[in-house]
Amino acid sequence: MHEIRIRGHLDERWSEWFDGFTLVQGSDGNTTLTGPVIDQAALHGLLRRIGDLGLTLISVNLLDEKEQSCQ
Amino acid sequence: MPVLATKLYIPPPRAQAIARPRLVTRTDEGLRSGKRLTLVSAPAGFGKSTLLSEWIAEIQSRQTSIRVAWLSLEAHDNDPVRFLNYVISALRTADPEIRVDLLTPQSAVDVALAALVNEVNRVSSELVLVLDDFQFIEEPSIQEAMVFLLEHLPSNLHLVISSRSDPLLPLARLRARGEITELRAADLRFTPDEASAFLTQTMGLALSSADVAALEDRTEGWVAGLQLAALSLQNRTDVTDFVAAFAGSNRFVVDYLMEEVLNRTPLHVRDFLFQTAILDRLSGPLCDAVTRKSDSEAMLESLERANLFVIPLDDHRGWFRYHHLFVDVLRARLLADGPEHVAALHRLASEWFEKSGDSEDAVRHALEAQDFPRAARIIEATIPLVRKSRQDWGVLNWLAALPEETIARRPVLVVFSAWSSLVSGDIAAVEPQLAHAELLLTAPPSEDLPAHDSEPGPELAALPVTIALYRASLALATGDLPKVEEQAALALALAQPVDYLGQGAAAGLLGLERWASGELENGVRAFGESAASLRRAGNLTDALTTTLVIADMLVPLGRLRETQAAYELALREASDQLNGGLPAADLHSGISEVLSERGELEVAEEHLLAAEKLGEAAFSHEHRYRWFVSMARVRQAHGQSDAALDLLAEAEKRYRRGFFAEARPIDAMKARIWITQNRLAEARAWADQQSLTSRDKLSYLSEYAHITLARLLLAERAPGAIGLLDRLLEAAEASRRSGVANEILVLQALAYSRQGDDAHAREALNQALEHAEPEGYVRLFVDEGAPMEKLLRAAIVKGRQSDYVHALLQAFSQGEDATPATGTELVSDRELQVLKLLASELTGPEIARELFISLNTLRTHTRHIFEKLGVNSRIAAVQHARTLGLI
Repeated sequence: MHEIRIRGHLDERWSEWFDGFTLVQGSDGNTTLTGPVIDQAALHGLLRRIGDLGLTLISVNLLDEKEQSCQ
Repeated sequence: MPVLATKLYIPPPRAQAIARPRLVTRTDEGLRSGKRLTLVSAPAGFGKSTLLSEWIAEIQSRQTSIRVAWLSLEAHDNDPVRFLNYVISALRTADPEIRVDLLTPQSAVDVALAALVNEVNRVSSELVLVLDDFQFIEEPSIQEAMVFLLEHLPSNLHLVISSRSDPLLPLARLRARGEITELRAADLRFTPDEASAFLTQTMGLALSSADVAALEDRTEGWVAGLQLAALSLQNRTDVTDFVAAFAGSNRFVVDYLMEEVLNRTPLHVRDFLFQTAILDRLSGPLCDAVTRKSDSEAMLESLERANLFVIPLDDHRGWFRYHHLFVDVLRARLLADGPEHVAALHRLASEWFEKSGDSEDAVRHALEAQDFPRAARIIEATIPLVRKSRQDWGVLNWLAALPEETIARRPVLVVFSAWSSLVSGDIAAVEPQLAHAELLLTAPPSEDLPAHDSEPGPELAALPVTIALYRASLALATGDLPKVEEQAALALALAQPVDYLGQGAAAGLLGLERWASGELENGVRAFGESAASLRRAGNLTDALTTTLVIADMLVPLGRLRETQAAYELALREASDQLNGGLPAADLHSGISEVLSERGELEVAEEHLLAAEKLGEAAFSHEHRYRWFVSMARVRQAHGQSDAALDLLAEAEKRYRRGFFAEARPIDAMKARIWITQNRLAEARAWADQQSLTSRDKLSYLSEYAHITLARLLLAERAPGAIGLLDRLLEAAEASRRSGVANEILVLQALAYSRQGDDAHAREALNQALEHAEPEGYVRLFVDEGAPMEKLLRAAIVKGRQSDYVHALLQAFSQGEDATPATGTELVSDRELQVLKLLASELTGPEIARELFISLNTLRTHTRHIFEKLGVNSRIAAVQHARTLGLI
C-alpha cells in the first residue's frame, strides 16, 4: 500500500483517474491518496498524473503491513 | 509513416495572452549569447507553449535570418526512428536546404543523426528547433540521441525544450558551462502585476485590487488557474463574493474552477466536451462521428472563441486539441462515469479513423476500447500494405498489445508474427507459429479448435504459399539447403497462376539456395524468373533489386560485360520509371565496382557520387554497405589503402547478413588490403581466427577467403600456396566460375615466376589473358603491381603482342596518381589527409563527410595525429605540421 499526500482538497471523483486510490481530505487542507500499486512503473505513472495536473506533491510513503492492520 | 503537419505547426501567439517581456528577453538573450539549449521546465498550465509562441513571433517580426522549426511531441513518439523523422521533417520545413532523408525502420539511428548534424552544419541559415511537450519522451535511445545532439550541436542550431518534467540530459554540466537558459515554474508564475494586467486588461474583468491580489495569492500565479478563474468570473455580478468564497476554500484550484466553468456551460456544449475528450486531436468530421451530431465544426470554433482551452493545430482551423490540463480533468470525470461509456466513444473514433484510412489511429482507439477483435481485423487488413512497403511500422507493437488468444485465432496474424520472429532472429519461435497457422487452416473445426477468425481475402487465400515461403526462408537462415529447395518448390506449386508476388519470392529463394551452393548459373536463371514475376506483380523496385544479386553471381562467372549491361539497363529503368528512387543508389554502387574492375575509375567514382546525390532514400537497407565497398575499391586502385580500410570499416558497420550468400566477406577484403600494405601479422591473425588452412575442404562460400589465404601464403613466402591454388582452380573451373579462375591464374603466374618457373608462369598468365581480354578486365592484373607489370612485359618479349596487353601496361602507370608517400615516417597517408583538412576551415563533421568516414573514426585519426605530434589541440597540430613541412 502506498500513501501519497498532495496539497489542497481533491474531489473524490478523481479516484478512478488515480488507479482507484481512495481520496481522503484532511483538516490540514491536504488530500491523502491511499491504494495499492503493482510495481514501480505504476507508481511513477501515478506520480506523473499528479504532476500533469499541476498538483503539489508533499510526500509519498510506503505503508508497511503492520501499520495497515492497525488502521 | 505519414508525417502529420499538425505536429510541426508553430502555434501563433494567442490573442488573449498577456505579453511577458521579461521572459521573452531572457529567452532571447540565451539565443543571442550562443547558448546551446533553452529549457522551459514547469508543470502543466504554466504558459510554456504560450511564452515560446510569443518569443518566436518576436524573432520573426525582427526579420532576422533565424528560422524556427517546431515539433509538438506525443506519447506515441517514443520510437527513435519516428522521433528523428519528425525532427528532420521539422528542420526541413524551416529550411528546405537541409537535405537528409527520412529513416526507414531499419535505419541506424546514430548514423542518421550524424548525417543530420553534418547537414545542419552545412546550411547557412540560423535555426531554432523547439521540442514541445518533451515530457512524453521516455525512450532511453531517444534521450541518448538528444545527448549526442547536444554534444555535437552545430553552432547554427539552438535547441529549445519545453517539458513538464526535467529531461534526462546532462543539465548540471550544461549549467556549469553556462550553455543553458532555464525558465522554471518560479519564473513562469504570473507576478502580481502580470496577474492584474491579465485579469483586468486582457480578460476585461472589473476587479478591485484586493480581488486581484486574492486570486493571485490563491492560484499562486499559476497561469491556468488564473485563466480558469477569469472564465468563471465572466458575466458575473457577485465578483467579490465569488473571489472570497474561492479564496477561502481548500479545494484544488482546478476542481473548484472547472466546476464553475462547466456549470455555466450549456448542457449540449458540456456533452460535446466530455464525448470528445477521448480524442488527441479534434476535427469537425471526427467530432461529428464521436458525438453523432453534425455541428461539431461550429462547436469547435465557438469553443476557441470562448477561450475554452481549445488550441488550433493548423492555419485553417481544420484540427484542434484541448489543453492538456483541461482534457485530463474531462477524461477523469468521464472515467468516473464508467468505462463502458468511454469504450463506446473510442469505438466510434476507431470507426471514423478506419473509414478515413488512418489505420494507426483506428487501431489505437480500438485498443483503447478493448475491442480486440476490431483491432485485430484492422491490423490484419494493413498487413498486405506493410509487406508491400516493407515497413512494419507499429504492427509489432500492435501485436504485442493484443491478447495472445486473439492472435492465435487468426492465422494471418500468426504467420505475420512468425515472420517478425524470423527477421528479428528468434529462429526457434518461427516453426511453432507456422505449424499453428497451418493447423488453423487445415484442421476441421472442433470444440477444441473452432474455425479461425481471419477475414477471407487474398491474404488468407495465399497463406499456404506464404507459410511455405517462410519455411524456405527459415531453412535458408539455418543453412538447410535441401529444405529450402523443397519448400520453395512447394510454394511455387501452391501459388495461384496470378500470385506473381508469391512466384517471385519462391524463385528468389530457389536462386538464393543455388547461390549458396555455388551453382551460380542456375542461381542467375532463378533470379531472372523471380525478376520477371516481380515485374508482373507490378513491383519494379524489387525486380530491379534482383540485378544486384544477379551481378554478384555473374562476376565470379567472369561475365563482366553482361553484368555492366544489366546494371545499365536497370539504372535506366530506375531513373525513368522510379524517378531515381530505390534501388537507384544501390545500382550505382553496384555498377561502380564492375567499372573499377574494367579500369574506368573515374566513371566508377562518378556513379558513387551520383548515388550519394540521390540521398539515403535511394539506398536499400540491405545493400547500403555496397557503396562503401565500391568506394574502397576506387581508393585502393588509387593507392590510398588506408582510406580503403576506413571505408571497409564503414561497410562492415552497415552490413547485414540477411538471406544473401556471404560470398565475399568484408573482413577478407580488409585482409587483402593488409597484405598489399605488408601488414602480414594482421592478415595472419585474421586467417588464424577464421581457422583457414591450405588443406581445408573447399566450398564456394569459402572460396574468397581461401584465395585470400593463398595471397597471404605467397606474401609470407610460406609453403602450400601453389597446392592450394591448384585445388581452387580445379573447383572454380568445374563450376565454370571463370572470373574466379582468372584471379587464381594470375596468382599462379606470380607464384611460379617467383620460384623462377617462367614456363609455368607464362602458361598461367596466357590463360588468364585469354579469358580476361574479351571481358575487358584491367584491375585483375594492375592491382598486382610491379611483379605483374614485369610478367606482362616479359610476355610481350615472348611474342604475346596485343593491344590489350599494351593497354594494361599503360594502366600500370596511370594508377600512379595516388598521393605520393609523405617522405616522413611520422604520419600515415590517411593521417596526412586528415591533417590537411584540419588546416582548413571545415568543422569536424564536415571533415568526416569529406573523407566518407564517421566522426568516431575521424576522432581516432585525430587522436593518433595529436599523439604523434605531441600536441593536444587542432591549432597546435596544424602549426606543428607546418613547421615539419608536412603540409
